[in-house]
Order: sequence, then structure tokens, then C-alpha cells
Amino acid sequence: MSEPTTLQNDVSLKDSVPEGGASLESILCTEELLRRPSRPPDYEKENRALVRLVSALADSPSTIFHTLAETIEDITQCDSAGLSLLTRDGKTPHVDGQRFYWPAICGMWGPHVGGGTPRNFGPCGDVLDHNRTLLFTHFERRYPYLMPVSPAAEECLLVPFYVDGKAVGTIWGIMHSNRRKFDAEDDRVMASLGKFASSAYQAWMHIEELKIEVADREKAEAEVRQLASGLEARIRRLVEANVVGIVMWNLEGAITGANEAFLHMVQYDQDDIASGRVRWKDLTPAEWRNRDEQAIAEIKGSSIFRPFEKEYLRKDGTRVPVLLGGALFESGGNDGVAFVLDLTEQRRAQKDLQQAQQSLYTTQVELARVSRLTTMGELAASIAHEVNQPLTAVTNNASACLRLLTDRNLEPEVLRRALEEIVADGTRASAVIARIRRFIKKAPAETVELDVNEVIDSVLALAGHELHKNEVLVECQLAKTLPLVRADRIQLQQVLLNLVMNSIEAMTGATNQTRVLSVESRINESGDVLVEVRDSGTGLGSEADRLFTPFFTTKANGMGMGLPISRSLIESHGGRLWATTDSLHGAVFSFTLPAAGESPS
Amino acid sequence: MTAASLVFVVDDDPSVRSSLKFLLSTVGLQAEAFESADSFLCRKPADIPSCLVLDVRLPGLSGLDFQRELATRNVCIPIVFITGHGDIPTSVRAMKAGAVEFLTKPFRDQELLDAVRLALDRDRARRKHDKEVADLRQRFDSLTAR
Repeated sequence: MSEPTTLQNDVSLKDSVPEGGASLESILCTEELLRRPSRPPDYEKENRALVRLVSALADSPSTIFHTLAETIEDITQCDSAGLSLLTRDGKTPHVDGQRFYWPAICGMWGPHVGGGTPRNFGPCGDVLDHNRTLLFTHFERRYPYLMPVSPAAEECLLVPFYVDGKAVGTIWGIMHSNRRKFDAEDDRVMASLGKFASSAYQAWMHIEELKIEVADREKAEAEVRQLASGLEARIRRLVEANVVGIVMWNLEGAITGANEAFLHMVQYDQDDIASGRVRWKDLTPAEWRNRDEQAIAEIKGSSIFRPFEKEYLRKDGTRVPVLLGGALFESGGNDGVAFVLDLTEQRRAQKDLQQAQQSLYTTQVELARVSRLTTMGELAASIAHEVNQPLTAVTNNASACLRLLTDRNLEPEVLRRALEEIVADGTRASAVIARIRRFIKKAPAETVELDVNEVIDSVLALAGHELHKNEVLVECQLAKTLPLVRADRIQLQQVLLNLVMNSIEAMTGATNQTRVLSVESRINESGDVLVEVRDSGTGLGSEADRLFTPFFTTKANGMGMGLPISRSLIESHGGRLWATTDSLHGAVFSFTLPAAGESPS
Repeated sequence: MTAASLVFVVDDDPSVRSSLKFLLSTVGLQAEAFESADSFLCRKPADIPSCLVLDVRLPGLSGLDFQRELATRNVCIPIVFITGHGDIPTSVRAMKAGAVEFLTKPFRDQELLDAVRLALDRDRARRKHDKEVADLRQRFDSLTAR
């Protein structure tokens, strides 16, 4: 059998009418209805049919079109019966539709249900245009697209029906043979059924609207459900993952639910929660209750409380540090949820960090001492020499005296001169020793108000022999009035000695140059005490920026810690230490120290 | 001890210089002291037996450098080194280069005096040997070709 003839688009079929297609008049035989002998009305059958239609409309409105088609077939004793509805999209009825579709067909054309015809070029359209019942015979002669729709329609009786005064569709019956011809009685019954079709249409439209409405609502509800279930699943996942403690509570102090992570923190179990034995107010140590009250006040105002740190009491009475934040489920409500993070690990890490910092500090202090000793090591040879000189003189003088005494040749004046020299050299040696003792003593940092110039003098004295030995000329430009600084004397000496020794070494490398160490002290623009140690060496060159990197050294035996430690020592006194290259001379090492008070008189 | 000898002392420390002179004087040795190698070089060489008591650590030219410098100039004066801190490599170098003794400050008086005596003896012997060689050469030169 052929496929239902449908037109799925809005192509104007007028253009495609073959030349010589039959005229409308030639396929109409409406007038015949009046001329044919009419059968008597069967009101009883008609009434039964209408009752059936009404009850169908009441019971199962969705099948009303099919019931209507059956009724037409039954009452008119035709071979096929059905209805056509105007539509725009091919399915949904629409009063301004461009085509008709067939929602229900009974009888021989039953298989063509769902098909249809164009609005402006077809039998249904003709009926709406004429606004009356029309009887067609072999309409496929004018409308060739109906040719494949079989069996062919010998006669077709079409009746328009209306909604709110507008024609919206047709009902129709078809005779596929000359077995019977439609008559005036069929016309009357069809008109009556047409009125019914109108109410059915309205009911059906209403149902469609309801369907759409229901579908929309269901869709919206489904979306909400899906969203809710998605969100719920996510929240459940969060709760059950036990990554953070989650606790549900009310403002009265009860805990209404908690996850394992929370229970683990406070060492209670689900039974404790379910029984209501555990209340969040009781979990809070007394000294944290005020903070809780703050959070409650906050949550009453803004429905949330910002995270804060507190402690909870565990079941065994020990405490657990936590970070807590939460919200009410509904603004102005009584129930809420909070997340709880166990801070035990963080606290431990903090403590470890503090210990590490303390140990780092201790190491730095120790390193500073080692570095000082290293500097001392560099000085050791020079110092040994310095101490040995007076000792040698003492020994020589004393030995000479003893020899003269043995020879009974010791004149008092000679003895006196020798003893004077011995005393002077002994004093000199002990002064050197005392200076070293003071310097290498492992004293804890002790900040006192001191005069930087005094420290400069003591360091230059300490390095005196080294300067002399290396033929370094010292130029001092010390400010006459300099504010005192708060500093540790030993540390400051160490820094200065380090800079002086570095300078000496830098200049020893350079031959054919006058070796000048210039030490200057003054007040800078910021009111700080500025000390500059300048040498006449070769300058810093490309190494300037690496000087302060630990373990960087230009010396064969250097540790590379002198300058980094010097800088950290100065910085620990609130000052700065830096290096520049002088345009005329060599390197300039400068440091500042904040002034402590009035300048010494 | 004969007066016909001279001890030179080079040390940058005035106390050490004066105490050494005093000590040497107790055994009748005449001494001249200098604060640096350069100032010693400015003095004209002695023509009597002499020796040098030399500090290793000196401003400017060090004791060891000075020893080498003297060798280069062909000055054959025996050297007794004295040093504030004696380390083995330095003493080995000094002795290999012909030093008579290497003493660490403060030293015992007898050690120094023995070393100075030994140095003077060597110089005396060298001078005697040099003189004999010179005499021989003179006699050889005075011979006429027959």
C-alpha cells in the first residue's frame, strides 16, 4: 500500500499543478445531495452515537477524535471517515495553520492516519474557503498528490467545523465505490457531528494545553529534583568523605547530626549524638563560651558566622584545637550546619616551625662565633707574633741579667734599665692577651649604648700589627660628635674587624699601589650612624653582588661566611650593610646603625 | 770572644732589637740592629766575620725572601732565623737555603748564643778559605811564564 500523503513543508502546490489539472467545479457534486433520494433519519442511532461521544469526551478525551471518526463511519455507513485539523507545525492544531493533518481515520483509509493536505490546495481548504459542506468526486483528478492515497475516493463528503467563529478543521466521510451515495440525511448528520467536533476540538485543545502545562511543570520539577538530588549527592559526598568535620546543630545547643570526622575529633560516637547526650554547648570549654556567643550573635544577624579558632572538649576531657565556621539552613531559622577542622596538626607544625626557627637562630649564633674564630684564626699568626715579641724581649733581657749576675758584672743602672724594659714588655704582652680574651669570649648578645668611634679604635688596635706588617696606611675620619648606638660590642667589633681584615687582604693582592685603609664615621641624612671602610685595592668588579652569598669567597682559606654574617649582625641591630666600588679607590663597605640617643659629649 | 766580629739583628720590634743587643753584649759580642731588611742592605758589608739574626716576619720583604735576595746578590752571610710562630715548611725552606739555625720565639738564651757562635765560626772559616783561595790565585797570577 502507498505511504500516507503528507506535505512536510510550505511549498506552494499551485505552482506544481500539472497543466490541464481538473477544475474545482469538475470535482464537486454537492448539489447532487439534494437531488438524491434521502434515507429517513435514525434519531435513535444518532442519539446513541452522541451519548457515546459525550461519554468518550468525559472519560477519555484523548481518544475523542478517533471515536468521532468511528461515529461518522457508523452513522453514514461510509468506507472511510476521519477529520482534518489546521496546523502550523504538522501536529499541533492551529487556526492559522498552513496545512491540514489527519489525527484520526477509520475504515479503509485507516493506515493514512497522520497524513494530510495543503491548506490552499486541497479539498479541506476548499471547504474552509467556501465555508460550507462540499461533496467531491474523485478529487485526485484536481489534486494529483492524492492519487497514491488508495483506495481512491469515489465520493467524499466534507463538513467544516468552527471554534469561536473560525473554521479550524473538517470532518469527512469517503465512499470508495458506488455501493452507496451520500445523501441529504448524511449532510444533516455530518453537520450535527461537526458541531460536536467543535466542542471536541476545544476539549482537545484544552487537554493539549494542560498536557503542555503539565509537561512543563513536570520538566521544571524534574529539573529541580535533579538539581536537588545532584546538590544533595554532593553535600552527602562532602559529609561522608570525612575530609572535614561536619556538624548539624540548633541554636538551643543540641547537635542534630555529625559526620565521622567530627565524631573522631571529639571522640564521641553516633549513639551519643542520636541520644542527644552530646550538646555543642557542653563541648565548649568555659573560656570559649563568650566566643561562641559572639558567633551566635553573628549568625542571628547574617545567617552565617565567619570561621574562628577555638577548642572542643573531647569525651576524655582533653582538648582539641579547631577551626569552625557555619551557617543557618534558613535565614531566621533555628537549625544550621558547621564545618570543623582539626588544627592539632597545624599547631604541631607551628610548634615545630618555632623550634626550627629557634634552632636556626642558635645555629646562626654558633656560626657567628665560628666565623669570629675563623677571623681569629687568620689573626692568630699575627697575634702570636705580637705576643711573642714582648715575651722574647723579656726572656732576652732577663737572661742577659742572669749572665751578668753570674759574672758578677751587673751594674745597678744596667739592671734597672733591663728590669724597666721587662716590665714594659710584660705589660704589653698582657694587654694583647686581654684584648684577645675580650674579643673571643663567647658572650651572649648584650646590647648597650656605645660609641662607634670607640669600637673602631679598638678594632684598629687589634688589627694594628696586621696593618703594620702589610704596610697599610690607616686614615681615620671619625665624626667628633656621634650619637650612641644600641649594639652588642663584641658583634660590632667582629663586623668591623671582618671588614678591616678583608680590606687588608684585598690590598695585599694589589702591588705597586699605596695601601690605604680609610675608616670614616658620620651621621647620614636619616640621622643614622654611618661607618665606611674603604680600601685602595682593585675594587669589587663583577663579584659585588655575590659577596653576601654564604660560602662565596675569593680567599684560598676563606669560609665565605664573614660578609653574610656581618650583614645579618648589622641587620639584627636595625642597620644595613652594603658594598660599593669607589670610583677612585677600591671597595667601600658601609653600614648604618640607628642612633640610640644624644651624642656623647 | 774576639771583638773582631759583628752580629747584625733585623727585627721590626724595638724591644726585641734592644734586648737582643743586650743579651749579645753579655758574651762580648758586638751587635748592630735594623728594623727592616732594606735598612740593613743600605749598610756597607762588614769586612770582619759576621752573621745575621733575622726575623722571619718582617714588614715589606719577608725573612725568607730576604735570604733569597742575599743569595742572588752573592752575599754569603750566615743567617740565624728567629720567628714568632715556627712552622715546619718554613723552617725546612730556611735550612735548605743554608740557614744556620731556626729558632722559635721566645728562645732560650743559650740556644741563640750557640747559634750565633756557630754562624760566626762558619763565616770565619769561609773568610779564611776565601782568603786562601784568593792568595793562591794571587800567587798563581804572579807566576811568570817560563
